[in-house]
Amino acid sequence: MDYLIHHLLRTSAAHYPEKEALVYREQRLSYASVERAAKSLAVGLSKAGLRRGDRIGIWLEPSTEQALSIFAASYANAAFVPINHLLYPQQAAHIIHDCRMKGIITTMPRLNRVAHLLPDLRDEIFAVVTDAGESPPSPIKTLAFDHLCQEDGSKQKDQCLGRDLGIILYTSGSTGKPKGVMLAHDQVLAGAAIVSEYLEITDEERILALLPFSFDAGLNQLMTAFCQGATLVMMDFVFAREIVQALAQERITGLAGVPTLWSLLAQPQSGLYKARLPSLRYITNTGGKLPRNVLYTLQKVLPSTKIFLMYGLTEAFRSTYLPPDELDRHPTSIGKAIPNTEISLINDQGERCKPGEIGELIHRGPTVALGYWGYPDLTAKVFRQNPFGAPEMLDGEKVCYSGDLATMDEEGFLYIVGRRDAMIKSSGFRISPTEVEEIIFQSGKVRSAAVVGVPDKVLGQSIKAFVVAKDDEAPDPAAIIDFCAANLPRHMVPKSLEYLSELPLTSSGKVDYLALKKREGIA
Amino acid sequence: MKVDIEAVEESIIRFILATFPRAHQKGLDSGTLLLENGVVDSIGVLELVEFLENQFRIAVTDEDLTADNFRTVAQIGAFVLTKQCIGDAV
Repeated sequence: MDYLIHHLLRTSAAHYPEKEALVYREQRLSYASVERAAKSLAVGLSKAGLRRGDRIGIWLEPSTEQALSIFAASYANAAFVPINHLLYPQQAAHIIHDCRMKGIITTMPRLNRVAHLLPDLRDEIFAVVTDAGESPPSPIKTLAFDHLCQEDGSKQKDQCLGRDLGIILYTSGSTGKPKGVMLAHDQVLAGAAIVSEYLEITDEERILALLPFSFDAGLNQLMTAFCQGATLVMMDFVFAREIVQALAQERITGLAGVPTLWSLLAQPQSGLYKARLPSLRYITNTGGKLPRNVLYTLQKVLPSTKIFLMYGLTEAFRSTYLPPDELDRHPTSIGKAIPNTEISLINDQGERCKPGEIGELIHRGPTVALGYWGYPDLTAKVFRQNPFGAPEMLDGEKVCYSGDLATMDEEGFLYIVGRRDAMIKSSGFRISPTEVEEIIFQSGKVRSAAVVGVPDKVLGQSIKAFVVAKDDEAPDPAAIIDFCAANLPRHMVPKSLEYLSELPLTSSGKVDYLALKKREGIA
Repeated sequence: MKVDIEAVEESIIRFILATFPRAHQKGLDSGTLLLENGVVDSIGVLELVEFLENQFRIAVTDEDLTADNFRTVAQIGAFVLTKQCIGDAV
């Protein structure tokens, strides 16, 4: 029976040992070789001190090592924490501290940049680097990835249950630093089975992975591929035409993207319109609304490809999809609940919304996460008793309150209309205003700061900052944006900045974000 | 239209500094690696192409979008001049 993440790999390796599992540049790894390497690495990690329930970080660019590490962590009975390779040391250090990582798999340059932010952990944490060699020694105990992959993995034993913590995915909310969403093994397996079902994924599939594994939809591509014995092709790119070339050369059958990616591909320069892609069976969009003109272009240039519009949030892994044959009738809808899942809308009175009435989207089903690592109050707010269950059930089952506001039409199709809070969504990333505001403060040039998301045709939203200068500081917007760029990954850097004499405040003395949005004409 | 390479490079540098804050950290000059250093990412390339098309009245096609044309300001400048020569000949 398959109930742990690495069981997906075990089963596919038994059915299709010689089939291509992972492709990255010139590397082509079969299921048997992925299984062998992941098991060996698991033994190496266990010998390094990783125990059942420990957290191990994976901070790597897209690579076969990244995928191997994910399954090795599961074989080693630990939970893995993927860290987006675009994050800066400061953000990575927060994640390492927050989940009390036992080990981290990364590269030597990354380890060197983050090591000085971890003085308290030097004797507690070990690192595994994929590029060991002539690098100077690190203050942190460091092991070589390749060396660990030489261990004998044949005697590795499972200790976990499907209910055990398998993954922590860090994601931002409306306030504070990113929080770790806890996913049990069986939730991840349910997500893989459900998505495989409605996308009709089989072992014939060749899936191109462009979304990072630190993002639920990206991780789900890896899990569905391994669940079905399909092939996952990984790549990095700068030009959209490189993606189009990969689609053709690798005869890709499925591709998932966020709106920004589809905007890039819909540009004439991507070459998508003249590429011949007879293999491309489906594409999926998630992470925000696909602009109408982009959708129209994709429909026109990919006439035989099925287009699935999807919606999900890390806290519930995946939530809804729009069947491709409904696309022409409901091009702005996120569709209906995924299989084995119930989506309802609830109004401020706690009642089920009538058609057309705006309410908060609630997700019920087997992919609802365990909660936020180390945040019981926030967990209690987001993961709650099913409001429509029998009262006698008490809180026997938790549903997820998404914070997304939506409406449902007469036929049950759902439409996202906004957020209950100040969270910003830019190019598929969730950004909390406070994370950006904190860095603006660190520049030492402002007395107060607030950021909001403003509409952007490629990114969905971009960040606009409002600041009040310190009394002795002359306004210098470029210097503040530069400071942000030095300390934040690009998706979190404000695109524009405006000085105000005071920030608008609510009656309780907090920053009035709604007033700032009104200034921008978006609320 | 006669444009010299230095003026083209200067105008590109001005645009990059104004659009990509990370360029300041890297001490941008005509030889700075833009793509490898993450100064310009895939979305940034879009903005850059739009600028080049408007500023220098060239049409950038899919075949033009290669790392060889965009790796540094010097390479972008050379690419722009080549494009303009082709344009003039048409």
